[in-house]
Amino acid sequence: MKVLNKPVDMIAVFYSSGRVEPVRFRYDDTPVKVDRVLKRYSEKLAGNRRLCFVCINDGSKVYELKYEVDTQVWYLFKM
Amino acid sequence: MQDRIIMHIDVNSAFLSWQAVYNLQRGHSLDLREIPSAVGGNQATRHGIILARSIPAKNHGVKTGEPVWEAKTKCPGLVLVPPDRHLYMKCSSALMDILREYSPRVQQYSIDEAFLDYTGMEKRFGPPLVLAGRLKDRVREELGFTVNIGISCNKLLAKMASDFKKPDRVHTLFPGEIKDKMWPLPVENLFMVGKRTAKKLRSMGILTIGDIASADPDLLKYKLKSHGLLIYDYARGIENSAVFPGYYMPMKGMGNSSTIPFDVENTRTARLILLSLSETVAMRLRYSRSCCSVIAVSIKYSDFRHCSHQQKLLTPVNCTMDIYRTAARLFDEAWDGSPVRHMGVRASGLDRDNHIQCSVFDHPRYAGNLQLDKAIDRIRNAYGIKSVVRACFINSGICASLGGMGSENWPVMSSTL
Ligand SMILES: [Mg+2]
Repeated sequence: MKVLNKPVDMIAVFYSSGRVEPVRFRYDDTPVKVDRVLKRYSEKLAGNRRLCFVCINDGSKVYELKYEVDTQVWYLFKM
Repeated sequence: MQDRIIMHIDVNSAFLSWQAVYNLQRGHSLDLREIPSAVGGNQATRHGIILARSIPAKNHGVKTGEPVWEAKTKCPGLVLVPPDRHLYMKCSSALMDILREYSPRVQQYSIDEAFLDYTGMEKRFGPPLVLAGRLKDRVREELGFTVNIGISCNKLLAKMASDFKKPDRVHTLFPGEIKDKMWPLPVENLFMVGKRTAKKLRSMGILTIGDIASADPDLLKYKLKSHGLLIYDYARGIENSAVFPGYYMPMKGMGNSSTIPFDVENTRTARLILLSLSETVAMRLRYSRSCCSVIAVSIKYSDFRHCSHQQKLLTPVNCTMDIYRTAARLFDEAWDGSPVRHMGVRASGLDRDNHIQCSVFDHPRYAGNLQLDKAIDRIRNAYGIKSVVRACFINSGICASLGGMGSENWPVMSSTL
C-alpha cells in the first residue's frame, strides 16, 4: 500500500449512536462504493484526532480512509 | 505532613517533535527527528532564530536561540520548518488532557511542561515510578512524541530530574539522591542559575551545584543578594511551592515584539503594528487565564536607539482593545518621529483573571468586548489564527497577529515554580 493522504469527497452516515460509516467517495472522478470496513480505530497523533477505517473492496483491494475531526475532511490515506 | 510526590513532565525537543509527528500523520515519509532539521523563523522577513532543533542538527553544532543564518553556515543541509503555534497548542492540550486523567492537580508550566502532584494517587494508579513509565509510553503511543518525566518530593527536584538524560526517560531525584545525581553537575544546570550568575559563582571558585550547597550562605547573600539564598536552598533541594491546578502559569509577564521588514514612519502603520502585537499578547493572557495591570511599549529606531514606556492600569485587563488603546497612547508619548524598525508590547503585573474588578472608568463596551474576545478566541482555536482578522489589516501588508513562539513568549524557563 502507498501513502497518499489525499482529500476526497465522501458520502458517509453519522449514526445517532456516534458511529460513523463511510459509504461512497470520489477518487479521480470515479465514484467508489465502500464494500466493507475491516477495522476501525481512532488516532490522536500530535493531538490531531482522526477516525481511521481500513476497508476492502472486491475481496482483495485494501485501502485506508481517515476522517479528520477538526477540519471535517475525509482522506484516502493509503491504497 | 505526608511527603509529596511531584512529577515534572517535559516534552523532548517539543516544537520539532510535534511538527515531525504531524508531518508523519499527514503521510510524509521523512521523520524530521531523524535528519538535521530545526524550527525557525523566516530569514527573508528579518526574523530568524532557531527555536528547536533535532538531535542530528544538534550534533552539527546547531544551537537553540542562534540566528538561522548562523545555523545554516554550520549545517548547510539543515531543513527548516516555520513555527506553527496552532499545532503546538493542540499538542500541548492533548498532553495536558492525558495528564489530568492521573491527578486533579496538574499545573501547566509552559507550552511543553507540566507539574503533576501525584500525592495520594498511588492507591489508584500504583507506585509513582511504574505510573510514570506507563504514562510516558502512553504519550508516545497515543500522541506520537516522547517526554521525560522527573519524580521527586517537590517541583524543583522533579524539574531537575526531568532534565537528566533524554529522550523518553523517567528519572527520580529524591533528597537522598541529591548528593550523587545533582551535586556533581555544573552550576548552570541548577534552575535559576543563568549565565551571569554562573560567571559570578565561578569567579568565587564555586563550580558545581555541590559547591553552592556547601558554600557559606552569608557570602552568597553578600555577592548575589536574596538570589544567593534562593539558589543556596535550591542546591540543597529545598523548595515547597504547591502545584497550582489549571492553565494559570505564574509568570512575571508576557511580551511580544517584532522586527518589522520595513521602517515605520507614520502613526497609522505604527498603530496597526501595535494592534497586531496587542492581539497576540491579549490572546496569550486569556489563554493562561491571566490579566495584567502594567502595559509597556518598547521602540527600537533604525539607528538602533532604544526606548520604552510603561503605565500601571487602574484595573487589570486582558481585552485586546484595552491593551491596544493603552499601548497606542504610550507609543504616541514615547515616539520622537524617527523611523522605527522594531516594536514590542509587554504585559506584566499578572494576576488570575477570575476576579477582574469592574470600574466606572471602564470603556462603556467593556462587557461586550470581553464576550467578543472570547468568541474570537474560540474560532481561532478551532480554525487557526488567521480565520478571523480585523478588517483594518486587509491590504495593509501587515500581519494581523505578529509574534511567533519565541522563548520570550512562552518562557521555556519561567522564574517562579
Ligand atoms: Mg521541553
